[in-house]
Amino acid sequence: MYLNILKKDLKRKKTMNVILLMFIILAVMFSSSGLNNVLTVMNGTDYYLDKAGVGDFTVITMGSESIGNTSSVLEKTECVKSYKIEECIAGSQNCVRNEDGTKMESKNNPLFQSISNAKMNFFNENNDAVSTVKPGEVLIAGNFIQKNDLKIGDKISVKLGDVQIDLKIAGMVKDAFLGSDLIGNTRFLLNQADYDKLTSDKKFLKNHICELIYIETDDVNSAKAAVTDIPGVAFTGDRALLKMCYVMEMIVAFVVLILSICLIIVSFVVLRFSISFTVAEEYREIGVMKAIGLKSGKIRSLYIIKYLIMSIVGGIIGFFASIPFGNMLLMSASRNMVFGNNSGILINILSAIGTIFIILLFAYRCTGKVKKLTPIDAIRCGQKGERFRKKSFLRLGKTKSKPSLYMALNDILSAPGRFMTVIISFFICTLFVLILVNTVSTMKSPNLIGTFGTESDLYISGLDSSMELIGAESKMDVENELERIADEITAEGMPCKVSVDIQYKYKAASDENEISVSCAQSIGIKADEYEYTEGSAPKYKNEIAVTPQISKMLEAKIGDTVTIDFGSEKIDCIITAYFQTMNNLGEVIRLSDEAPAYMKFIATLRQYQVDFTDDPSEKEIESRKIKIQKLYENAEIMNAAEYCMDCLSVVPAMEAVQLLLLSITIIVVILVTILVERSFISDERSQIAILKAIGFTNGTIVKWHTLRFGIAALAAAVLAAIASIPMTNLCISPIFGMMGASDIRFNIEPLRIFLIYPAVIFAVTIAAAWITALHTRKIRTSEATNIE
Amino acid sequence: MSKVLTAKDLCKTYIVNKRQNNVLRNVNFSIDEGEMVAIMGPSGSGKSTLLYTVSGMDSITAGEVQFCGRDIAKLKEKELAGLRLDEMGFIFQQMYMLKNLTVLDNIILPSCQSDKIKETRKETVQRGEELMRKLGIISIADNDITEVSGGQLQRACICRSMINNPKMIFADEPTGALNRTSSDEVMDELTKLNNEGTTIMLVTHDIKVAAKCTRVLYIVDGNIKGEYNIGKYENASQMRERKRALNNWLMEMGW
Repeated sequence: MYLNILKKDLKRKKTMNVILLMFIILAVMFSSSGLNNVLTVMNGTDYYLDKAGVGDFTVITMGSESIGNTSSVLEKTECVKSYKIEECIAGSQNCVRNEDGTKMESKNNPLFQSISNAKMNFFNENNDAVSTVKPGEVLIAGNFIQKNDLKIGDKISVKLGDVQIDLKIAGMVKDAFLGSDLIGNTRFLLNQADYDKLTSDKKFLKNHICELIYIETDDVNSAKAAVTDIPGVAFTGDRALLKMCYVMEMIVAFVVLILSICLIIVSFVVLRFSISFTVAEEYREIGVMKAIGLKSGKIRSLYIIKYLIMSIVGGIIGFFASIPFGNMLLMSASRNMVFGNNSGILINILSAIGTIFIILLFAYRCTGKVKKLTPIDAIRCGQKGERFRKKSFLRLGKTKSKPSLYMALNDILSAPGRFMTVIISFFICTLFVLILVNTVSTMKSPNLIGTFGTESDLYISGLDSSMELIGAESKMDVENELERIADEITAEGMPCKVSVDIQYKYKAASDENEISVSCAQSIGIKADEYEYTEGSAPKYKNEIAVTPQISKMLEAKIGDTVTIDFGSEKIDCIITAYFQTMNNLGEVIRLSDEAPAYMKFIATLRQYQVDFTDDPSEKEIESRKIKIQKLYENAEIMNAAEYCMDCLSVVPAMEAVQLLLLSITIIVVILVTILVERSFISDERSQIAILKAIGFTNGTIVKWHTLRFGIAALAAAVLAAIASIPMTNLCISPIFGMMGASDIRFNIEPLRIFLIYPAVIFAVTIAAAWITALHTRKIRTSEATNIE
Repeated sequence: MSKVLTAKDLCKTYIVNKRQNNVLRNVNFSIDEGEMVAIMGPSGSGKSTLLYTVSGMDSITAGEVQFCGRDIAKLKEKELAGLRLDEMGFIFQQMYMLKNLTVLDNIILPSCQSDKIKETRKETVQRGEELMRKLGIISIADNDITEVSGGQLQRACICRSMINNPKMIFADEPTGALNRTSSDEVMDELTKLNNEGTTIMLVTHDIKVAAKCTRVLYIVDGNIKGEYNIGKYENASQMRERKRALNNWLMEMGW
């Protein structure tokens, strides 16, 4: 008999059962893919670095001095368990050109390496290992292909010294060591024969040969100390630093992670609603069953079996849908990385089972009321006789609005619980979109300029001279070059001064630790022109400012002394201030203008900064930007906002994720609206029929139903817009903090936050609700008479 | 007297499981202004279907229905809705009302929706209260519909059907879900309305209810088998005789 009741129920209440099944499928799909993604992202960089075989500690040396010395130093170091060395050659930022001779955009100096000499693993777009390159072809790591609008099969020309070769692009590779956006040195993998040809200019090779060293060790600090004996060390990085370098990629991945968590929350909120809603629908029947003598336990088990069957069916469908859905979400974050976890689809299976269990728990709790209800209470839809609670909130007589608007508003205020699902779901989705909008907007604004340097009118990147100056004899050479550039620009009618921030690699030691660290000193910009979060700018030769990261590494605070080894002299420097920077992930010491400058320790020259002396307007600056671009065709000329975007190379990926997120939010909003509205229509058939019977038109009823969702969406959008400002600070500041900037002023664009995005969500909701509400047209007036 | 409602060769057919079910077969009748007509007949004879088709709540398969001179079969959905809103009132066996609205708000809802009624919201409320006072339920004006008895609610439904001053009220077993006392009260109110000039067509199984009407149509298998003109009900002293006479006629009809 029970089976028959169940069969009849599944058939008779087809609409509600289909709606519930849809919610179950969505919940399983979101939770399975979401949980898998959470695990994948949490393991993200470690999984990738292990898979690539990068080791615990990495070093880059520049110049031929290190060749041969590296092995002898590492062999002697006890803490080094094993090491791998790759030889490669560094080119200038302009050494790669298009077939037609136009320059290519490269953030840092590209590195060329023979794939035969590869000691770590590289992966293609499908995450398969790559081990060969055909003669005449090249595999390119990172975003180079995408940034330069290239495609497989395109030809590029590489010129190193006197040698120039043409190569055909065979594809992109994922480079775990150098491929992150923050390191940004593009690695070009060649066939051995092409590499030999490219390195045949021995004079060029001498200064530009590099060694990439991957060290396995349990004692990173000892290894760090040991490599200070290797000549020409340009970069050292432990696992933590390499992981940090993926912080940009991980921002995107964490966005996917938070999105997954949001989707899980939304799916459970909606699921809870639909189960309690459908159980409430059953009360009348439950009452009848109780009245004819069926025991509560039997009745309850009947419904739980129904939900078990539905959740198993929905669970299986949701599980299979979760795999492509999860992959789609991760794809947006894994352009540069190989994401994965060792559990595979086991997580999807477990979370699908978990979701089914939670569904049954919801069903168990919702049907729990069955025990307490008398038959007549149940028939009265769960209400208790004379103690019916007050429902009506507003009075039609006291308003001037049309009944459709009044009824919509009154429904929400009288039964807020019914609409809370919609409001919470929309609020979560909208809030998340707005947080991302604020973040991207901040990244695209000049707000972050203080964390990369000082604000100038324009920035010049990629001038050939910047690479040549790395080998400069004295500070005077740099000053002369800056003067030359300033003169050239001034000669074009744009009076200006040109400055540059230089980073040297020195050893710094406190009582506790010794590290090799980037020390910044500018030419043309005084140390007190930079922003400091605490203390005062370093003024004298023996004064420095440090970032909180360096303070932590050296265990030294303001007032403490740090010994800096400038090569020819060691100076005990007092820390006078803290500052924040996103350069080198915040691991930077700022020297005073009086501190010694030894050109052979230059690690990098940052972009040339141009400040016009005739105080031009913003419009004039933009026009001068074009003029300077013509003057230096090979260079890239940027304003402050563009410079920030260039430094934060994750902006395009973030914009793509923002679009993906908005699309998913719109899909979720549409799904929730359709499913909840269908539930409401099913529940309110009698009321709709009676309204039609007394003369309400279809249009008025559709308007009533649509307005309810419109009001709910509006409330959610307004709340989300208000909450987005503090929530952006709360959620995103720690991520910038990981990159070295702990005090960020977010760029809030009121038009986008309070109008455009809420309007999009509102419009989508209205459209989805309106289309779904058209279903009420099928309800006939005569149904007013045959409702149970 | 002018005719408010006329049905000519009215047919209604349902297709159930590919089988044709002729619920109404060439029904012909008319109702004059000020009449109170009861439709009686055995279960499944087509009483309610007749009520819903002539009131435009359900479509007709063939024939013609004229309401105040307008052929309702030719009206568009929106025009029909307007007709139901402004010219007709409805009372159902179950006291259907919107659950999130108070009793008074349910009553004035059609008036607020109507374009015919040109008055302020305050005036509408006053009219609604006046109707409630007349039917003796003013005390429940601000109550939720879950807080009042079935009899009170059915009287509220009568108020709602009256709020737009309709030309005709259609009632489908208006006392079917009520006890004897409530049933009598509701019928007294409908009779009063009729005496004041409102045309009423109602479906009932109850002889006592039908005995208060001016005319009774007896329907069997979708056809009007006969009609009985009892005349205007004026006071309770006539009731016994009207019931007896009606009962005899119904016996003849095969009741």
